Amino acid sequence: MITITINNKEIRLERPVTVLEAAKANGIKIPHFCHHGILEQWGGCRMCLVEVEKMPRLQTACTLFVTDGMVVMTESETISNARRSVLEFILINHPLDCPVCDKAGECKLQDYVMQYGPTAGRFKEPKIRHPEGLNDPLIVRNQERCIMCTRCVRMCSGIQGASAIAVTNRGNHSSMEPFSGERFDCEYCGNCLTVCPVGAIMSRLHRYSYRSWQVTDEIQTVCPFCGVGCTMIAQVRDNALMRVVPKLGLGSNKGLLCNRGRFGYEYVGSGERLKNPLIKKNGKLQPASWEEALDTVASRLKDIKNSSGGNAIAGIAGARCTNEDNYAFQKLIRGLGSNNIDSIARMGFAGGQRIFEGMLGPGVTSTPLSGIADSDAVLVVGGDPSEVNPVLGVHIRMAFKKGAKVITIGHAPGLGRHRTAGLLPHPQADGVVMGGLISAILKDKKSLPGGNRPLEEKITVMHLPSADDAAAACKLSAEDIGRLAKQLAGASSVSIVVGREAGGNKDTAMLVSVLSYILNARIYLMSERPNEQGLVDMGCLPDMLPGGRPLAEEGLRKKCGASWGIDIPADEGLTLMEMIQAASSGGIKAMYVMGENPAFNLPDTKNTEEALRRLDFLVVQDIFMTETARMADVVLPALSWIEKDGTYTNAERKIQRLKKAISITGMEDWKIVAEVGKRIGLKMPYGKAADIMKEIARVSPLHAGLTYADIEGGDNLWPYKGEPHKNWFSFPELSADAFTSPAEEGLCLMLEKPLFHSGTLSRKSPALNSISPEAVLRLSPATASGLNLKDGDFAKVSTEKGSLSLKVKIDRGIDGPAAFVSNNFEGRGLFSLTGYRLDPVTKSPLTEGRQISIEKE
Amino acid sequence: MLSDKTIEEVEALKRRYPDPRGAILPSLYIAQREFGWLSPEAFEAVSIVLGVPKAHLRGVASFYAMYRHKPVGRHLIQLCTNVSCMIFGAEDLVSLLKNRYGAEVGGTSPDGRFSLVIMECIGACEAAPAMLVNEDFHNNLTENNITEILEKYK
Ligand code: SF4
Ligand code: SF4
Ligand code: SF4
Ligand code: FES
Ligand code: FES
Repeated sequence: MITITINNKEIRLERPVTVLEAAKANGIKIPHFCHHGILEQWGGCRMCLVEVEKMPRLQTACTLFVTDGMVVMTESETISNARRSVLEFILINHPLDCPVCDKAGECKLQDYVMQYGPTAGRFKEPKIRHPEGLNDPLIVRNQERCIMCTRCVRMCSGIQGASAIAVTNRGNHSSMEPFSGERFDCEYCGNCLTVCPVGAIMSRLHRYSYRSWQVTDEIQTVCPFCGVGCTMIAQVRDNALMRVVPKLGLGSNKGLLCNRGRFGYEYVGSGERLKNPLIKKNGKLQPASWEEALDTVASRLKDIKNSSGGNAIAGIAGARCTNEDNYAFQKLIRGLGSNNIDSIARMGFAGGQRIFEGMLGPGVTSTPLSGIADSDAVLVVGGDPSEVNPVLGVHIRMAFKKGAKVITIGHAPGLGRHRTAGLLPHPQADGVVMGGLISAILKDKKSLPGGNRPLEEKITVMHLPSADDAAAACKLSAEDIGRLAKQLAGASSVSIVVGREAGGNKDTAMLVSVLSYILNARIYLMSERPNEQGLVDMGCLPDMLPGGRPLAEEGLRKKCGASWGIDIPADEGLTLMEMIQAASSGGIKAMYVMGENPAFNLPDTKNTEEALRRLDFLVVQDIFMTETARMADVVLPALSWIEKDGTYTNAERKIQRLKKAISITGMEDWKIVAEVGKRIGLKMPYGKAADIMKEIARVSPLHAGLTYADIEGGDNLWPYKGEPHKNWFSFPELSADAFTSPAEEGLCLMLEKPLFHSGTLSRKSPALNSISPEAVLRLSPATASGLNLKDGDFAKVSTEKGSLSLKVKIDRGIDGPAAFVSNNFEGRGLFSLTGYRLDPVTKSPLTEGRQISIEKE
Repeated sequence: MLSDKTIEEVEALKRRYPDPRGAILPSLYIAQREFGWLSPEAFEAVSIVLGVPKAHLRGVASFYAMYRHKPVGRHLIQLCTNVSCMIFGAEDLVSLLKNRYGAEVGGTSPDGRFSLVIMECIGACEAAPAMLVNEDFHNNLTENNITEILEKYK
């Protein structure tokens, strides 16, 4: 116990902290610029000077650690004078243009000068001028206002790990600059903006339109872009979203955001938002009243049910929709007599999770994000977390900086500077590498951990490849594999981060489970959409009811059906791609799509589109006129995330509240669904989202008794107050070719998961488009020069399925013979070039037909 | 891109320090030799070999006056005009360079032959005025001998 005195107040501390932290914890404010709670200490601004008894000079409170018996004064005449001098120095070159500075009102410099002065400057020399940097689309840099606290630089290199900015030049000519001196060309996370204490770097999105004192409401909600589910604050004025910002310490993101979260919000106000319901008449979508549209949907669905049976109806639920929306949606589809309900979670998330849970126990993926930064080894497989789940990626970088071993299998350029080893097998040979690692680890460990009998039996009969085979598959030596295996086995806390590609492949997912078991590792399942977990938990699956209860269990099914007043059909429905196939063969006649864009987001675009065209009736509920909506018979305008109440369940399985901050146009997804439901005779008496949560809490044993108050109170971690389901899974068999590495096929087409986009929504965000305006073909320098292509050239990329003309972008982050294309821009998606085959267990579409030819145009 | 030999040199420097950041200054000199100045490509090339982010390299380089931050002529004249050199007529030499070759202070002659940089005392006060041409040292300059000397640099 350490006892110190600050301003005559006795303070007791458990462990040594800095004077500034000790003061803060006790409600004593010490002014500071360069100190920031999440950054490394620097001690450069001298604003935090305090007097310490028996110490000859003033001390910087942010770097001085307390010692027993220390006596500190944080305000005195001497201190005020010193602080005033510090401020006077800063003001030598500061332009004092508060009236036109967006930071005014929440600027530390403004506040401190008000408090300590000086009230007049004594310098006659002209101020150093720095023209405002307007060459970046997102960030305005005003270096006249910069106080050289280096917070932004420490954020960018120390936390974000992008190291895109630095202090350049010297003395009073110093300024903070990105490499180019103008455009940032960085990861655009904007986390540097959060920590800048003055108006030296600011978002261009709200330039001259934001004044801190005009914010009428600050609403805490969750990011709409990915499954990390970052907590953010929406700042609102007059029913308009002024901006979103993170808040230090809040949420799993702890005050960080990524580019999409911070700059992507403008889509909500896009002029292209759907405003009216539309009904197709004479082959054209025409505006209609809600009444007419809802009646049409209900009566057409009823007709098709009567003529062809419930099984002819299918529903695709929405990964951007809330739990409440999705719960209501699956109830509607089941009420129509169909279990044909699935979602984009089928692309890898749901299948991977089921295998992990089946092999390792329920809830294995409900792991807190903070665990990553505390790991001493992290294995990444099947995706690039820095692009898919950026804030999760930042946690891996932080772990690396703290000394953790980071090993990636497959392409993960975002971790290029933050990994111990990057293994790059053929995209279909992850299995060999993981198998080799497993056998090397087992050789080291000599025995299995014991505890999970069925799994261990499985492991003993696996014909694991040798370290040699694994090494050959990624062009390493057996020693390298042995070394990596030792690093993993020797770590006391291991995290495995798994992407969609790995989750969807049952062999890879099984091997991840085995690795996790023998290493006692936590599993993090990347989630590309904000509510994939919610889709799973709400029963938007063809074989599961809400709360992860298998349809096959009669008792549960009956009970659930009784509470809804319907008979839930006993037969499992079709999975996502099976529905598309059935639509194409005529088995499915009607489809209801909520918040999803299958005509673009599913592989083999052309065939998918044709299948959708064959439907007798297609309803699309969305906020934009998507590729799918254009084909629909009825289009129903829904709400964006900031316009509605409800909950999302993130990749950690944490349930978080979404709150309505503004309202622009459209109707809540759940309300539209309930209106349709009522018209076909279902009991859906919901007046607000909370009413649905009440029903969920009654029907889903996992969510039993859960209320919004619990969720907001922090009682929101799996398994909430409910019961997870156990014992329903039988282990699949590894495929015979799980451990074979396909022969080299030359250039391989790969899906780029762009950091700056997420598809249907992000395309409508001007800010994101300004930094990433078009689809490109990314090639490594070696591949490009082999094809005689330069940056900016146009090239024709062809596969068996088709071809696209794309601009070439040379990317040093890419290794090996791979060509990356995203699936984001209209008419320019990778999925129009690739086919798929279904994994026999997860039923995820696995990409096929990656061989491409590229010709210069 | 750097030549293989240069990459080797930078790699060798990198090995001499526990942290690659230790090798930044000499590596930048090597890249400057190859590129003529610290162009974006030069930073990029060093960044790849050292594994140090390029923004950081640029930050470090901009602290020092003796790196070339702009393209320079074939030959770099670094002429001192500090007290001793000034007393012995350095300012006249500055005018001469401008009139005869068109090389302004901080600029390059139109034919790309000479770039002129003014230095603050290069430690040759006893034989002022003095200058460096590339890495060669010349002192006791006069309006006559300076042109003679410069004739050697085509
Ligand atoms: S936006 Fe992010 S990546 Fe870019 S400079 Fe700021 S902190 Fe660095
Ligand atoms: S830009 Fe802002 S955060 Fe960065 S050094 Fe300047 S004042 Fe500090
Ligand atoms: S990491 Fe995901 S949830 Fe967080 S800000 Fe980025 S897109 Fe949003
Ligand atoms: S806050 Fe302590 S020196 Fe800057
Ligand atoms: S003043 Fe010119 S060398 Fe010293």
